[in-house]
Amino acid sequence: MRRTGLKKRIEQKLNTASGVMTLLVVGIITAALAAGTAVFVRIYHSSLTRNVMISGEQTTEQISDIVENYMAEIYNSMEGIKEAFSLEEKEKDELLNHLVSLRPDAVAVTEYDIETGELIDAWVGEEKLKPEIYTNLSYDSELIPEGQGIYSISEPHVESIFQDSYPWVVSITGVMETGGERRAVVLDTKFSQIASYIDNIGIGQHGYCFIMDREGNIIYHPQQQLIFAGLKDEDTEILKSMPDGSFEEAGIIYSISSKAGSDWRIVAVSFVDETITDNLLSCVFLLLVLILIVITATLISSIVLTRHITKPIGNLMNAMGEFEKNAEGFTYTPVKGSYEINSLSDSFGHMVVRIQELMAKVKKEETTLRKTELRALQAQINPHFLYNTLDSIAWMCEDGRNKEAVDMVNALARLFRISISKGHELIPVEKEVEHAKSYLKIQNFRYKNQFGYSFNVEEQCLKYYCNKITLQPIIENAIYHGINRMIDEGEITIDIYSEGDEVVFSVTDNGVGMSPEECRGILEKDAHGRTGGIGIKNVNDRVKIYFGEKYGITIESEQDKGTKVTIRMPKLKEENIEK
Amino acid sequence: MRNKTSLKWISIAFTAVLFMFVLLGFAYRGFMEGKISQSTKYKVTMIMKSTGSEFFKSVFSGGNAAATEYNVELYTKGPEDEEDFETQNKMIREAIEDGTDAIVFSAVDYNENAEAVNEAVKAGIPVVNIDSEVNTDLISCRIGTDSYEAGRMAARAVFEVSGGEEAYHIGIVNFDRNTENGRRREEGFREIMEADDRVKSIETVYVLSTPEDACRGTKELLATNPEINVLATFNEWTSLGVGQAVDDLGNKDSVSVIAFDSNEICVNFLETGVVDALIVQNPYAMGYLGVESAYRLIEGDEPKERDVDTETTVVTRDNMFEPEYQKILFKYE
Repeated sequence: MRRTGLKKRIEQKLNTASGVMTLLVVGIITAALAAGTAVFVRIYHSSLTRNVMISGEQTTEQISDIVENYMAEIYNSMEGIKEAFSLEEKEKDELLNHLVSLRPDAVAVTEYDIETGELIDAWVGEEKLKPEIYTNLSYDSELIPEGQGIYSISEPHVESIFQDSYPWVVSITGVMETGGERRAVVLDTKFSQIASYIDNIGIGQHGYCFIMDREGNIIYHPQQQLIFAGLKDEDTEILKSMPDGSFEEAGIIYSISSKAGSDWRIVAVSFVDETITDNLLSCVFLLLVLILIVITATLISSIVLTRHITKPIGNLMNAMGEFEKNAEGFTYTPVKGSYEINSLSDSFGHMVVRIQELMAKVKKEETTLRKTELRALQAQINPHFLYNTLDSIAWMCEDGRNKEAVDMVNALARLFRISISKGHELIPVEKEVEHAKSYLKIQNFRYKNQFGYSFNVEEQCLKYYCNKITLQPIIENAIYHGINRMIDEGEITIDIYSEGDEVVFSVTDNGVGMSPEECRGILEKDAHGRTGGIGIKNVNDRVKIYFGEKYGITIESEQDKGTKVTIRMPKLKEENIEK
Repeated sequence: MRNKTSLKWISIAFTAVLFMFVLLGFAYRGFMEGKISQSTKYKVTMIMKSTGSEFFKSVFSGGNAAATEYNVELYTKGPEDEEDFETQNKMIREAIEDGTDAIVFSAVDYNENAEAVNEAVKAGIPVVNIDSEVNTDLISCRIGTDSYEAGRMAARAVFEVSGGEEAYHIGIVNFDRNTENGRRREEGFREIMEADDRVKSIETVYVLSTPEDACRGTKELLATNPEINVLATFNEWTSLGVGQAVDDLGNKDSVSVIAFDSNEICVNFLETGVVDALIVQNPYAMGYLGVESAYRLIEGDEPKERDVDTETTVVTRDNMFEPEYQKILFKYE
């Protein structure tokens, strides 16, 4: 119950871990890109604005130069007119008519009395003068400059002196001398040249340039007629107060430039939103695309990741759970994945095999142990031994050796009590010694003191624990195989002492001894002696099962000299015994 | 075995990403191209009452300005004769066949043009009505002079420019009585005149919308009604005719002339005193707004207003050269 809960929790954790990873990656990248986009948009916006301003300023500078050149040309024409005025009447007429008809933008040259403003003469090229001129917009007494060589420029107005024709012109007024008289001379000019130039200036998609004077009157605008028709308006009130340079106003960037000494200022108008928004839109679009790609890539990689890591891990986990539930019957099918997963899977596979082997071994040992213990017990209740002993006791009683008979019965009872020991396999060394003493006492009676025996037990060893019925089979062996066949009196010595971490039991006799084959035979064969007692092998097996291979019995024997059987066990204290 | 499948997966993923890149690249290009220019320009057909008058030239030039701004292909059309509604109808049907996206239309005849306009609208082509109206509810919007108000302005101008006579005898030289704007202008004009005690008589003569016929009609009107001391006329061609007649007869001082529109000859008449006031409409704005509205309609936007009145100004000899009036009266070329 607890285990399945744990398993579930691990499973969920793993599952959400991969999910969370995907979400995190996508989330972080999206957030990072969004933040990046925002920052980028800001930077891009300001840099684009700056670029637009710079290009606007460059454009207006250029136009300023062109306008300046154009004005220089017009002043040149005025100088030409001035020269013509110094000539004779006929030559002057010819030259001026020539000038008006040749210069594409010259409309008329008019000459006025500087005092009265009366129109004295006019040169108009192809056009016809009105028979009666009601209004003359070209002449403005306020525009007459102070001295010669200085020229002033009017605002745009219609030419009102022609028959049925009213072109828009600007008037350049100067003072000239002809025949010793000072005259105001006006050159009316269309600005078709500048106009066509300015019309062709495009800034961005809808940006444009226009010319205004310092009072904010529009001199020329590419959409002049739209302004006239009231469909468009330039905010010249704000513009006229602005110094040269660029500024932004309601999403529109204005760049203004003017030449020193010129009345005209060039204004470039570019639409921030249009130029910048278009670019920004494409950038944002690109970023969206990037985000999409990243999300897709992340999803794909998380799928791949899941397939290669998470899923194999899950499989491995399931296999482990399966193994946990049913270790014996489990067959492991290797899980495939990345290199790490593969090696993990292989290790697990090996582990499964090893554990199953160990389990089988333990099971087998357990069975052996039970069998051996059972056999040891059986041996104690061996009827043969019991009959013989009881026979001996009976005989003693008949003989009237009651004291001995009592001793004998006591020894027998102790022998059995300790043999059984409430079913415990491990008993204190003290008890084992008592057991051996009881046995020896019985045997000594039976063999009529054919042998002597002695115990040398270190006091400190008594409290350690050992397998029960350890010494008895060895003593039995010593009696039957060593001393029984002797003519002289035999002697059995039992030493128990500690040696390092171990307790050493040794049983030494001075009997006939054994050949090496016999020694090996005793340890290998499960053969019982004639007495039907349990063999030394049984003891050895039990010691080894309980304490490990390094412990157990060793036999040293020499023919006609005697045998020494040594048993080694670890120092086992009472508190370390598993009950 | 396993490595092969993972390799397969990685290559599939890689191909998918690559494929997406290519697709998005195309989408992006399409998006940018769509933004920068429409793949095909919209076609807008402008059908006016004629092509020769200064008024309609100005309409066309306004239309062209808008066409340039909105990147629209503009076709300008109109019959030679301002009475010729049949040619107009034919032009509408041709435009439908040519697959125009919108029509900007000024009707010669209030009723006779209605059917052709309805056909266009039913064919899914929005129609913007400018200047002169047409009798249908299907047009998307109307842009032009408020003709009734323009007629009233003309009437008020009469009292302004004449030197306060005691009795006014009015002569009206009007064009085709089936043309809605001419009819409405006369109605507005008559409303003011009929309400004024000083007005003793109002005579109307209907002429063809040509200077020659208007001139002839005016002379006839003046001959049969010599007491007439005010002449009013409501479009460019008839204005030229009336002006010419008054100039020919040499009675510019005894007859006040109220005319329409800003033909240069008419402006000259205003300056010389033949014509006393000009009611100047804003044809450039009509053309510009007409094409602009057509563009908006094609783009699927609703027009801001269904009925847009463009500005009308009274220009007299006294104010004609003031800077503001110069801009209204004289076209910038």
